[in-house]
Amino acid sequence: MSTRPVAARWRQLAGLVARRLGVTLVLLVGVTIVTFSLVQLVPGDAASANLSEAAQADPEVVAAYRDKWGLDDSIVERYLTYMGNLLHGDLSVSQVDGRSVATSLGDYVPATLELAIPAMLIAVVLGVSIGMLGAVKRGRVTDQVIRFGALVGLSTPSFWLAIVVLYVFFFVLGIAPNGGRLSPQFAPPPEVTGMYTVDAALAGQWTVWWDAVQHLMLPVLVLSCLTVAMLIRFVRSSMLEVMQQDYVAAATAKGLPRRTVLGRHVLRAGLAPVLTVSGLAFASMLSGTVLIEQVFSWPGLGQYAYRSASSLDLPSIMGVCLLVALIYMLMNLVVDFLYGVIDPRIRG
Amino acid sequence: MSRHLSVGRGARIAVAAVVSAALTAGCSAGGSDGSSGGGGGSDTLTVNTSFVIKNIDPAMEYEATGALTVNALYDTLVTFEGSDVGEPVGELAESFEASDDATTFTFKLHEDATFSDGTPVTAEDVVFSLNRLKNLKGSPSVIVAGMSFEATDESTVVVTSDEPNPNVPTILAMPSTGIVNSKVAKENGATDAEDAAKTDSATQYLDQNPAGSGPYVLESFDPSSQVVLKANPEYWGEAPEFSRVVISNMDVQNQKLTVSKATSATVALDLSGSSLEGLPESLQQSGAQDTYYFLTLHQDPAVDEVTSNLDFVRALRASIDYAGVAKLFGENAQPAAGVVPPAFPGALEEADAQVQDLDAAADFLDDAGLDQPKVSLMYPSITYRGVDLGTIAAKIQGDAKKAGIEIELNPQPIAAFLDAQSGGKVAMRFSPQSLNYPVAASLVNNLAPGQSTAATTGWTPERATPEAIAAGEDVLGTLDPEAQVTALQEWQRVLNEDSPYIPLAYNAGTVVATPDLTGAEYSPAGWQLDVAAVGKK
Repeated sequence: MSTRPVAARWRQLAGLVARRLGVTLVLLVGVTIVTFSLVQLVPGDAASANLSEAAQADPEVVAAYRDKWGLDDSIVERYLTYMGNLLHGDLSVSQVDGRSVATSLGDYVPATLELAIPAMLIAVVLGVSIGMLGAVKRGRVTDQVIRFGALVGLSTPSFWLAIVVLYVFFFVLGIAPNGGRLSPQFAPPPEVTGMYTVDAALAGQWTVWWDAVQHLMLPVLVLSCLTVAMLIRFVRSSMLEVMQQDYVAAATAKGLPRRTVLGRHVLRAGLAPVLTVSGLAFASMLSGTVLIEQVFSWPGLGQYAYRSASSLDLPSIMGVCLLVALIYMLMNLVVDFLYGVIDPRIRG
Repeated sequence: MSRHLSVGRGARIAVAAVVSAALTAGCSAGGSDGSSGGGGGSDTLTVNTSFVIKNIDPAMEYEATGALTVNALYDTLVTFEGSDVGEPVGELAESFEASDDATTFTFKLHEDATFSDGTPVTAEDVVFSLNRLKNLKGSPSVIVAGMSFEATDESTVVVTSDEPNPNVPTILAMPSTGIVNSKVAKENGATDAEDAAKTDSATQYLDQNPAGSGPYVLESFDPSSQVVLKANPEYWGEAPEFSRVVISNMDVQNQKLTVSKATSATVALDLSGSSLEGLPESLQQSGAQDTYYFLTLHQDPAVDEVTSNLDFVRALRASIDYAGVAKLFGENAQPAAGVVPPAFPGALEEADAQVQDLDAAADFLDDAGLDQPKVSLMYPSITYRGVDLGTIAAKIQGDAKKAGIEIELNPQPIAAFLDAQSGGKVAMRFSPQSLNYPVAASLVNNLAPGQSTAATTGWTPERATPEAIAAGEDVLGTLDPEAQVTALQEWQRVLNEDSPYIPLAYNAGTVVATPDLTGAEYSPAGWQLDVAAVGKK
């Protein structure tokens, strides 16, 4: 093989990556404009949301607050100030607690990741297995039960499921903790990643590690249940579609074992749409689990986003929106890459 | 903490992450002893509450969880013991006295009082802290408006009020007046200068490194999940019994499950109304009715022709089933007699509670010249102290309908409600209300014609009756506490006739605690629970 085609392929790849990064940057700027504009349209004022009623009656206090946060500047001035800070890597500070938005995101994102990663692993393993089983057993009792279970799973409100699970496993059975990331008697492990299970393992604090794992179980269970139900339906319908293709019939007619046909031909071809859904589901887990976090007292990104929105904390809202947009873009990038891995036509 | 990692460490992290995730994924729900449902060990007190906290800089804190925490970290000149908010007692002040005209207050400091770093608390620290509170112009700054502070020697502070104000000692018991180690604070960006609102940058430092003289010091502070306190080894007063306090953010349902299952050293702070029902009898409850819920009707005809008609206000007032409204708040609530809740001196007697009188409502509507009037009721769509405000609004709507008044409900997100409220153009609104500090006379400063709440209701002195104005002036002009109580009661009777306010019910704040605890008393002073006073039986 000559080096020229390889070099050309690398150049092509570099160009592709550069184009995608360029598009990502443009999209992020678009997100800042849209978010900034939307926050201005929301009825409410940061001063009245954050000052006490008595303080609002004092013009000096209100003026000091508005001056401190530039609330009297025009929207264009405020936007340009924000973008100026952003270009220097500064996400500004929260109008509510004065903390750096970047620091707060650094605290909350690991907590959410610690929930979302095991929940997604469970969801993918169970969703793909059960979805395939439903497709293989199409029309039989097993399939009917799976379809019914998936429907129930999708129709169940997440906060309700969270409350029920907490009630049953903590209150009635007493075999799970009541929420939070650690029991009160434990201090968090030395911070490396911000994920307690990982940090405790790194520090060799196995009692803390086990406590952190126990605290993860119920929220992970709830979070994965909802995604499993969704994946089951996608995998089942995707597999059924592929199983009706001529090449699958041909493979079966050639006498290939059923396991080989399903694993090599059906599963691989049917996984593409499932990948898209999984990517979006994972991004959604990272950005929108506020109710589950609320019930399980989990200090994640969802709760931070909710607090920021309810107090009209513009810098925090901007920080969350930028992060969520970035997560979705990265997930799309990862999904595109995985498409290439599972589908040779795209790779070519 | 740095997040930069070496390659080797990165690989270890990746391995640990995969192992953790796999093990977590593989776990069944079994194996836990549910230990975090109860207390966190024999020497740890767990306080579960739904967090309302922004920071723990005393000069900036205003919210309930902030006050609870700051009260444990910082001493104030005076304080209240247990649930009694009638008489402040000395804390950093060994003694204090007021001038006859209630404008000058002299506080003599304990000579042995020290900050957590061992340095003595001086009058200079007190003056710095109070001036900083005033000049930072945050939410709590308004409580010291009109006051000035002076150190006359190392251990004497003189507080002067522009107006006669016998309640200065009570104000100086609030956690936001907590005394900061001025040397440490200044070294980290604090200032008490007049431009402190622009130039002070110490809040971030104080959030992680409180510089107080209270019974506890900070172990960790995360405004979204938990605040951990540990006993101050240098505390100059009586050491608290629990060496560690974990204040955890927990929603109300979870608090109920947790305290019901806990066997030791656990407290829940947000159970109220129906959420108190069904708790195990072994649990202790301590509460005080310190909150009132009220309707306000705009008095400017340009905003609303109907609500600005005082006879319409009287008709609506007569139409409401107050006992029925109180029932919706649970068994610890009661129908309102006036705007001063029973936890504070000056409240009207329970027998004075308002009652529904539909005939009187009809008569008042005739006097108002209104037939089938229609008004909009705005309220924040929140659950407050365990009660959905929408339920109360619907009850008011139903009661008013019986008197021929049609009310259109207008729930709003809290931020939109607060904005509309401060905009002063809401025809009729419904909300809970607590006192800025535990003195009922402070309500006059909010509710009297032309004052802050009244201003957002269009109740100016020009639109108020002379009786309503005079009754408020009587309260503020009375320096004798007993005479002030009488004046407050008379003021409320006038409000019940001539004001745009309709108080509906009183609701209680409650501390629910496991049976092994002592001193777990609810305080209506603002900090809810003095964690340092909680002990073991």
